Amino acid sequence: MRVLVIGAGAVGARAVRQLVESAEVDRVLVRDIDRARQAAVVKSSGDKAAAGDGDARIDAVLLAGPAGTHVDAAREHLAAGRPVVSTSDAIGDVRGLLDLDAEARARRVPVVAGAAFSPGYSCVLARHASVRFDEVAELHVARSGTGGPACAHQHHGALTGQALDWRDGGWHRRSAGSGRELCWFPDPIGAEDCYRAELPDALLLVPAFPGVGRVTARLAATRRDRFSAHLPMLRKPHPEGLLGAVRVEVRGRRGGTSDVLVMGALDRPAVAAGATAALALRWAVAGRLPSGAAGLGAVTEPVPFLAELAGVGVKAAVFEGGR
Amino acid sequence: MALLRRALVALGVAGIVAAVLRLRGSGGTPPQQGGWRELSGPDLE
Repeated sequence: MRVLVIGAGAVGARAVRQLVESAEVDRVLVRDIDRARQAAVVKSSGDKAAAGDGDARIDAVLLAGPAGTHVDAAREHLAAGRPVVSTSDAIGDVRGLLDLDAEARARRVPVVAGAAFSPGYSCVLARHASVRFDEVAELHVARSGTGGPACAHQHHGALTGQALDWRDGGWHRRSAGSGRELCWFPDPIGAEDCYRAELPDALLLVPAFPGVGRVTARLAATRRDRFSAHLPMLRKPHPEGLLGAVRVEVRGRRGGTSDVLVMGALDRPAVAAGATAALALRWAVAGRLPSGAAGLGAVTEPVPFLAELAGVGVKAAVFEGGR
Repeated sequence: MALLRRALVALGVAGIVAAVLRLRGSGGTPPQQGGWRELSGPDLE
C-alpha cells in the first residue's frame, strides 16, 4: 500500500509515524508547503517515508493540512478513485467533504471527514456506546485541549461565530461561547467548563444516528479564552499541544427505561488524532469502511477499531457509578 | 438630554453586569460519586 499524507504538522507527523510502522503500508509519501518541515518528517520517519512531490502511484490520501484546504484536495483524489481521510475539524471543510457523498458512492470509495481526536475518535466512541441502547435519543460531545499550533488557532476561532446544534429534527445556530456546562473528563483533566463552539461534530453524528433527537458539541475553555476569543491569539501556541481529552455522553432507552452512558479518552490530541487518522486510512484501503462520505460514526466495527487504537496507546474509558 | 444620559448609564451598567456574568459563575456540579474505568480485555473483544 502506498499512501500520501498532505500536511506534516503535529497531526500529520504522528499519522506518518503510525503508517510507517504498519506492516501493510509499503510507502508513505509526505507533502507539506513548508519544505523544511516536510524534509524533517521524512528524515525522522524511516526508510518507508519519502517526499511526496509529483508521485501518481498512490492508493489513498490522508489530508492533515490547515483548515480550508481539504475539500479541493479531496475532490482531486476522489476523481482518481482514491479513498480520502481528512483530519479537519472546520465546519466548511466537513460540510464540503460530506457533499462529495454521491461521487464517493458512485466510485465506491470512502471519504472520511473529521477523522481526528474530536471529531473522529469521539464518533467511534459514540458508535460503540450506542450499541448498548435500543434507541439513541441524545449525543453530547465535549473536548479539551488542542493538537498543534494550527489546531490551537482553530480552537481559538471556534469560540466565536455560530455553534451548530441538532434538536428535534432541525439545525439550531447558537452563539459560540454560550451554554456553559461543567464536563467531567478522564483524570487528571477532571472537571472543566465547556461552551458551545463552531464545531462540526453534529454534522458528522446526525447522519450516522438516524432518528437522534439532540446532538451538541462543546469545547473546554477558560474565562480568559472566552474573553480573548475575539482578539488575535495573545500567546504563541504550544508546538506539540499538551494533554487533552474527549467525552461522549449518550442518552437513550435501554430495556424500556431511560439510561445514560458516558465514554471518554485521555491523550495528547495530536497523537490520538494522528493514530485515528492513520487507522481510518488503513481501514479505508482495506474496505472496512463503507463507501461514501461520512464521519467515523459510520464505522460498523467500533470494537476492533478501538482495540487497534488501544494497541498503540489511545485508550477509551467509561464513566461508572455516577448518579 | 438627562433621559439620554440615564439610558447610556443603564446600558453601561447592564453591559458590566453581563460581562461579569459571562466571565464568572459555575457551569454545574461535578459528579459526587463514580469514576473512570479504562476499557480493556473483555470490553474490546
